[in-house]
Amino acid sequence: MASDVDTTPLVGRDDLMATVRSALLDDVTPGNTAAVFLTGESGVGKTRLLHEVGGQLSHGGALVLTGSCLDIGDASPLHPLRQALRRLDADLAPPTAASVRALLGVFAEDRAGPDGAGALLERVSRGLNVIAGGRPLVLVLDDLQWVDRTTRQLLLYLLAGLGDLQLSVLAAVRSESLQGAHPLRRVLTELRRLRSVRVLDLAPLDRSGTEELATAVMRRPLAPEAAEQLWQRSGGNPFVVEELSRELRDGRDGLSDTLREVFLARVDALPRPAHRAVHAVAAGVEPVEHWLLARVVGLPEHELLDAVRAAVSHRLLVGSADGYRLRHRLVAEVLEDELLPAERALLHRSYAEALTSAPAELHQARLAHHWRLAGEPERALPAAVAAAEEAERLYGYAEAHRHWSVAVQSAEGLPGVDRATLLGRAAEAAHHCGEYARALALLEELAGADTDLPACELHIRRARYLAAAGRSALAEAEYEQALAVADCTPGQRATAAARLAELLLQLGRYAEAGERAREALALAEQVDGATTEVVLASAALGFSEAYRQDPDAGLAVLRRALATAERAGRPEDVALAYLHLAELLTGPLNILEEGVVVARRGAERVAELGLGRSYETRLLAIATNGLFRVGQWAEAEKVVASALRHRPSGADAVELLLARCRLSVGYGDVEAADRDLDAVATILAGGGARHVIPLLTLRAGLAMWQGRHDVARHAVQRGLTETRSDDLVILAVLVWHGLRAEAEAHASRTVAVDDNAVRRLRGIADRVAARSERAARPVRYVIDGYLALCAAEVSRLDGADPELWARAAAEWDHRNHPYPAAYSRLRQAEALLAGRRKAATAGKLLRQAYQMAQALGAVPLTDEIRTLAGRARVALEERGAVESGTSGGSIGEELAALTAREHEVLAAVAEGLTNKEIGQRLFISERTIGVHVSHIFDKLQVRTRVQASAIFLRSRA
Amino acid sequence: MSERGGCGEPAWGPVHRDIVDLLADHPTDVPAVVDHLTKLQDMLVRLPPLLDSCPLADFNKLYLTITSSVLDGLYADRFVDPVFLSRLDVEFAARYFDALRMWSDASPSTPRAWACLFERMRGPDARPLPSAAAGVNAHINFDLPFALVTTFDHLESEPVDGSDQHRDYLEINKIFADKIPGLRRGYLEQWQLLIDMLNGEIDDWYQGELIHYTRDVAWRNAQRIWRCRHDPHQHERERRRLDDTAAALGRLLLSPLGAFLQ
Repeated sequence: MASDVDTTPLVGRDDLMATVRSALLDDVTPGNTAAVFLTGESGVGKTRLLHEVGGQLSHGGALVLTGSCLDIGDASPLHPLRQALRRLDADLAPPTAASVRALLGVFAEDRAGPDGAGALLERVSRGLNVIAGGRPLVLVLDDLQWVDRTTRQLLLYLLAGLGDLQLSVLAAVRSESLQGAHPLRRVLTELRRLRSVRVLDLAPLDRSGTEELATAVMRRPLAPEAAEQLWQRSGGNPFVVEELSRELRDGRDGLSDTLREVFLARVDALPRPAHRAVHAVAAGVEPVEHWLLARVVGLPEHELLDAVRAAVSHRLLVGSADGYRLRHRLVAEVLEDELLPAERALLHRSYAEALTSAPAELHQARLAHHWRLAGEPERALPAAVAAAEEAERLYGYAEAHRHWSVAVQSAEGLPGVDRATLLGRAAEAAHHCGEYARALALLEELAGADTDLPACELHIRRARYLAAAGRSALAEAEYEQALAVADCTPGQRATAAARLAELLLQLGRYAEAGERAREALALAEQVDGATTEVVLASAALGFSEAYRQDPDAGLAVLRRALATAERAGRPEDVALAYLHLAELLTGPLNILEEGVVVARRGAERVAELGLGRSYETRLLAIATNGLFRVGQWAEAEKVVASALRHRPSGADAVELLLARCRLSVGYGDVEAADRDLDAVATILAGGGARHVIPLLTLRAGLAMWQGRHDVARHAVQRGLTETRSDDLVILAVLVWHGLRAEAEAHASRTVAVDDNAVRRLRGIADRVAARSERAARPVRYVIDGYLALCAAEVSRLDGADPELWARAAAEWDHRNHPYPAAYSRLRQAEALLAGRRKAATAGKLLRQAYQMAQALGAVPLTDEIRTLAGRARVALEERGAVESGTSGGSIGEELAALTAREHEVLAAVAEGLTNKEIGQRLFISERTIGVHVSHIFDKLQVRTRVQASAIFLRSRA
Repeated sequence: MSERGGCGEPAWGPVHRDIVDLLADHPTDVPAVVDHLTKLQDMLVRLPPLLDSCPLADFNKLYLTITSSVLDGLYADRFVDPVFLSRLDVEFAARYFDALRMWSDASPSTPRAWACLFERMRGPDARPLPSAAAGVNAHINFDLPFALVTTFDHLESEPVDGSDQHRDYLEINKIFADKIPGLRRGYLEQWQLLIDMLNGEIDDWYQGELIHYTRDVAWRNAQRIWRCRHDPHQHERERRRLDDTAAALGRLLLSPLGAFLQ
């Protein structure tokens, strides 16, 4: 189709183009992701820029996928991606096209599972991997302000690196849309902090750019007054500049002062058939396919072509391979008032009728859209239902909810429609996408409607929605009512009691939770197949006992539940039982070793049962955290790597990334830790508040090892302003980090101590201590450990007290957590040495701390111990009587300084493997291997792989 | 399009560079917001010709006082749901910084609710109280409902009457009243009087119900926007409506009639 849009030169964007290109392609290291978000007002040239940059990246060897988001509000999940794939399919040679079709097939498949949404993300990223075939992949998305929720989640998932794909995203967002309450606002605020993301505002042209563009369009220089007028009227907006200069060139200046008038005049000048075509495209869902437009305007082929050509030459329409679009949003605004409502309804009817006879892209969603606007609810209804079901199949509950709502609306007053079913499904979809108030309202409507839904069922559903919305008191009342109504079956009663027990547990009302759980267990035992209820109630009972006085009884209950679940054989019940048991052991009971064993055994078992993606990852996350605490870091690293192979998403992914980051902070691997922190921040940018505090705590811990105590202080301050006062453990950890940051600042003299912050932190520590007296014993136990650290850190600010550090060390020894215990010994030794007392004791403590830190692989901690030992002339090696690191010991001793993981790495180095190969073998990143290798060099005092390998091979000889 | 379309002088005169640099950073937590407002205050009072009596500085100072009190409240365990309140505070402030940024760029999209106050920075001088009130008007009547919706959306929660979040939200009214006795005597009451006077003229602003505080109006408006947040067209209509109404009220506050407040 003839179009002169591309012949107009791109003015004033050279620097920006170069910036975007390098941010998305040249500067991206293999295996990493990057994103550029272009914001700007309409007409500023975002689409043009996407097009130009996309072309450049394609020439640069990247595979470019291009799609646009739609503003019909009730589109389909992942529409922009599917559109991009279809476009690619049309352009490709058969072998690659097959992989594109395979991925497109994923969207059409019917496959629900316990972790369906996550599995879909995984399959999409695998599909993209195959299509990319080793090339960098660039996803170009226009009109991102209309993106659907599923696509948004997919983008964050891929940008967080979870898809294991070298991906760049280039997206355009209309800045006007961001002004209201748009969800992308927050996403962009969070993402713009990351190193791999740029948010660039596309400004209007400056005066000389405006003149340059106008000159190019007019093909001659402008008179000074005309240039001034153009500048004043356009404000440098390229779209406006181009259109106004065109008017000027064609001698139509003066007639129309504003762009609106320019377009109105053009519409008026169109021949009748072209007029109809333009209005038809405006009423359609873009792009409007040629065949569809032909049916809607009802013109013979050659007349239609003439009409379209006229509309294109008047710069109202543009045509491309997949159909027609309005040249610009402004055209739509101009056209909006030009049609009578009846005329518009007629157009929608024509669309709907044409679509009924032939399937097309977004078929059901478009049908529902057009029938609704044509004023034909009874015909919109089946299409809306079909569109809703299709969206649910792709886990797009937000879109499904909107389609169900249209269905409910359309069914209003129609005879013979099962309104109750529609309401019920609409409510369920609303619940799934977090529209709790709407879910409850729909449920009320359902209760009022003529329905045979039993009262008990209604109460249970209402309670579920209320509990999900965090309105616990109301949820509790609903469960009570469910238990009280007469029509409740024993099965429903068991469910209500078990859920109620769970809710009470979350509210910290352990005694009541225990009672309800016992009641639920008794009920469930009388019902066949109520295994889920047995597991749920046992968990509530187990935890409530653990929090009260009888941990062993609680443990026994959960063990029995596991046996029951295994006997009944439903995989989800078995998985849940393992999960709760492992959580109980590693949580309130602090029986870490056994908890880790249970978690790992459970992980194996659920993998056999086919629940690898969902429950195995969760169990492995528990195992990782347990292993970290008992000090088996190398093992923890292995476990977390194997869990991440499932490419988990959402909260599961965050949990694992945080666990891995905790290890990296301990190892002192700044780069790996930063990368995981960025990945977590990327996922959290999508919404939710859980996990923000662990993220901040790790950021503070990392900053302290880097000597950036002000950064640590800031992270803690933010954490303190975002923590509920009843989250005592979280507060205690934060306060310790805050006090430690101030104490380190004091000791290193790099950053001034913030006395205000210290006062505040001490106040909060006192508050936590006071409140913890009323907390359950296991909670108090954890808090006491951190409060001991807090008290000791405070003493560093005003004359170090070795006794406080001795106490902290004892507390953590007792908890079997070597990392804080080793840290406390270091500080105790430091305090003793500062007071010039008990040098021998200090030496012994340093040696103990050194051994513990070495065994962990805790590099920064080891370094600090070494530095202090060096200053105090303490020999750290027991037998060697030489300072650590100096050569002279036997080969076996040299290797003894290595951690288990470093040993493994060194063995692989000696085999001649590259870091990348070693990473693949040990399931850890190439970069982490690099860090291990440099630690090995450091400890063995060598500079090359050959030297290191020689030492290793000699030790074998 | 724009009347000022980049003509000549920068929006912030001699402190333009400083303000633009400051606004290039987007604070993401409450301590950082307080820090931002503090720095902005230092810049605004250096803005000729009005210097210390810059009307925007009058608002900024009040806003800084209130936000500092919110921060103290967060540290002092004053709120039930600090996650919500912190996010809201940050999102709320972001709207003010956005408006300043758009004004710096001479963008035609600068909300009119704010533009009427920004225009007065070059004079004529306005009394401090109506100036501050005009800023509070734009911020509460226009920015706050959207900040609420964005916050709830991000936290995967909803604006429900009587919820913990609603209680925390109302707690801020006490900060307005408690911490600034001058404000309570001076304008929350008088201002309300003014609003009541205007009630008939500004159509459907209060939907016939008798309002207590503008903040409640903001909460109601947030619930209204919440319901249409997925519909870009209706959402945009809602935004224009709020902008128009807040702008009308702002201009009135800055008119000679506004001096009646003081």
